[in-house]
Amino acid sequence: MKIIVPIKQVPETSNVKMDPETGTVIRAGVETVVNPLDLYALETAIVLKERFGGTVTVLSMGPPQANKALKEAVAMGCDEAILVSDRKFGGSDTWATSYTLAQAIKKIGAYDLIIAGERATDGDTAQVGPGIASWLDIPVATYVARIEGVVDTRISLERLVEDGYQILSLPLPCLMTVVKEIASPRLPTLDCKIRARQMQIPVYSTENMELEPASLGLKGSPTKVVKIDTPKVTRGGTVVKAGDDEAVVSAVNELMTFLEAKGIL
Amino acid sequence: MSVANASASRSSAYNVVTKAIVDELRDIVGSRGVLVDLEKIEAYSHDETDAKEYGHMPEVVVLPSSPEQVAGVVKLANRERIPVTPRGAGSGLSGGAIPVYGGILISLEKMNKLLELDVENMVAVVEAGMVTNELAMAVQERGLFFAGYPMSLQTCAIGGNIAENAGGGKAVKYGVTGRYIQGIELVTPTGDIVQLGGKLSKDVSGYDLKSLVVGSEGTLGIATKAIIKLIGYPTAKADLLVLFKTPREAIDVVPVILSKGLTPTSIEFMDQLSIITSCKYLNESLPYEKAGAMLLIELDGTNAEQIEMDLIAAGQLCQEHGAIEVYVAEDRNNIERIWNVRRNIAEAFKVYSPIQSLEDIVVPISRIPEIIPELDKLSAKYHVQIPCYGHAGDGNLHATLVKDPDMSMEDWKKNEVACLKELYRITGELGGKISGEHGIGLKRKSFLKDIIDPVELKLMQAIKVAWDPNNIMNPGKIFDLN
Repeated sequence: MKIIVPIKQVPETSNVKMDPETGTVIRAGVETVVNPLDLYALETAIVLKERFGGTVTVLSMGPPQANKALKEAVAMGCDEAILVSDRKFGGSDTWATSYTLAQAIKKIGAYDLIIAGERATDGDTAQVGPGIASWLDIPVATYVARIEGVVDTRISLERLVEDGYQILSLPLPCLMTVVKEIASPRLPTLDCKIRARQMQIPVYSTENMELEPASLGLKGSPTKVVKIDTPKVTRGGTVVKAGDDEAVVSAVNELMTFLEAKGIL
Repeated sequence: MSVANASASRSSAYNVVTKAIVDELRDIVGSRGVLVDLEKIEAYSHDETDAKEYGHMPEVVVLPSSPEQVAGVVKLANRERIPVTPRGAGSGLSGGAIPVYGGILISLEKMNKLLELDVENMVAVVEAGMVTNELAMAVQERGLFFAGYPMSLQTCAIGGNIAENAGGGKAVKYGVTGRYIQGIELVTPTGDIVQLGGKLSKDVSGYDLKSLVVGSEGTLGIATKAIIKLIGYPTAKADLLVLFKTPREAIDVVPVILSKGLTPTSIEFMDQLSIITSCKYLNESLPYEKAGAMLLIELDGTNAEQIEMDLIAAGQLCQEHGAIEVYVAEDRNNIERIWNVRRNIAEAFKVYSPIQSLEDIVVPISRIPEIIPELDKLSAKYHVQIPCYGHAGDGNLHATLVKDPDMSMEDWKKNEVACLKELYRITGELGGKISGEHGIGLKRKSFLKDIIDPVELKLMQAIKVAWDPNNIMNPGKIFDLN
């Protein structure tokens, strides 16, 4: 089974500072990590490889520094890594990013499964995974919480949906995005880390990929950021005061009425 | 509530705090700096040791805001023969800040400022009530590092660290608090203010009294200011989590790593019971079932490339010496994840049974493997669980006696004391001591006399009498005077 996992390098969020002027993340000097939600995709891929054999190829689009994220994925147990990097990719929105990644995946060749994280913790769009599937014209299942099994050329899985779980069977190749529930990511091991250190990671760029120049980077991105501002909290909440015994009774009554009105009680 | 203990152990050697004395205290520190309400002073009756067992109410709490005010209060106490108990943040683990004889409790919480950051001399001058983490953050902004802090840095105060000569997770490389204390402003038990040491890297002009004060548990006076040595902030760090089949294999690798010239900031040890309990508590999926023991090894420095090389070297040494698996944590998320396992051991056991005795034994590093089977024997003999974890890199182990939830309090009390006596005896036989970083305080006072050289004890008592002729400064701690 050949599995491809696209990952993203993101700023480590506990340390993130916002530029109050522009409303964007200050990236200079901030530690970067593998998008924490991508770790579940990596773990899922590695577990499938351990179960069914095959290889896991990890893929990331970003500046040369994204090599660090790729090496960490290899240190977790991925077999191969590819960096998709070119100045011309800068400023890509989810449309241009998923296009570029889909072209990179075509260049890799045949595959059975693409596993992506639910979303990235910085952009929070959850669009790139399904976007890739769309460009590749393959089936997609989002919010996958469990993999039932793989029989012949079909994979059966459970999607986490609002009312419970949806059980699906998809033909391979397909793409899925996974939620935290699916696995518990392993830590990188020393042996795999040493392998990652010695690994030469190939770079896919405009020079060796088949790309439509008009679909790349900022120019190829239909999303235009007009304005960024911080949402205001409009739900104030109600404080029910219960200062003395008498007030407690009326406070409890008020709360009960509220809960009944909401259909909670 | 510890109110029950109020004045229970009043000694006839001391006088009570009368209304007249409270008025005089108000004259010295102002009326807002004197607390007498039971509700307010209750918080000052205990530290992080069990309040029911060790807690004790002060008669009055004073909150001075200058060394002169501290000196004024101490002079008054010395004149009136009233016991004085100094207190930092109350995060101690040996009962050092508990006012066993009531009297006046002096809390330095208002004296919490960074007075000077002298970058040229690489020192910070701080008031003793400053919270360690605040100092750490303030100096980090300038690329500097205060390295000698304990695990409780979020809450503990510098003055308390000095009193206990606190150590912590980074002691293997950076040592403990004392290494970073270049100077102390001390209010002596007779109420004088004296400057010990200074912004000096070297000082042999007479006895090293500053070092005597460090670790004296507040019995020789009250530190009001400290001159703290700073070093460059280590910008890079990385960790290994290493699984071994047995504790012996884990411990045996420690001297191997150290003797290869690698100096980790920490080498933390966790036995199987600690690992399983903490992992289950955290819902952590590490493959702990196969591990009989784990080491957590952290390296830091300013050169990320060098740290990576050292990390690999240390990991390979572990592999050569029987490690089942070596995990690597290089980003903040993974580093936090593995330290969480170590940090939550005590918390995890509190869920199982909140009644425990957190111990702090220290033995020569090479003797750690010998203590582990002894703990198993004690555990079976006294029907208590004894998870063992701690700082393997410096031989300091927090073996913790955990009461079986089904055991009666009466039996627990009996077994705890008997078990501790035996544990301390074994520790002594292995060339160890009963406390590495928490202090003797109140909690271990009754055990110290059994294992300390009588000559050493006599010298300590002589020093105490010379410094504090009326025995008013934190009496009832470490040892009693006959």
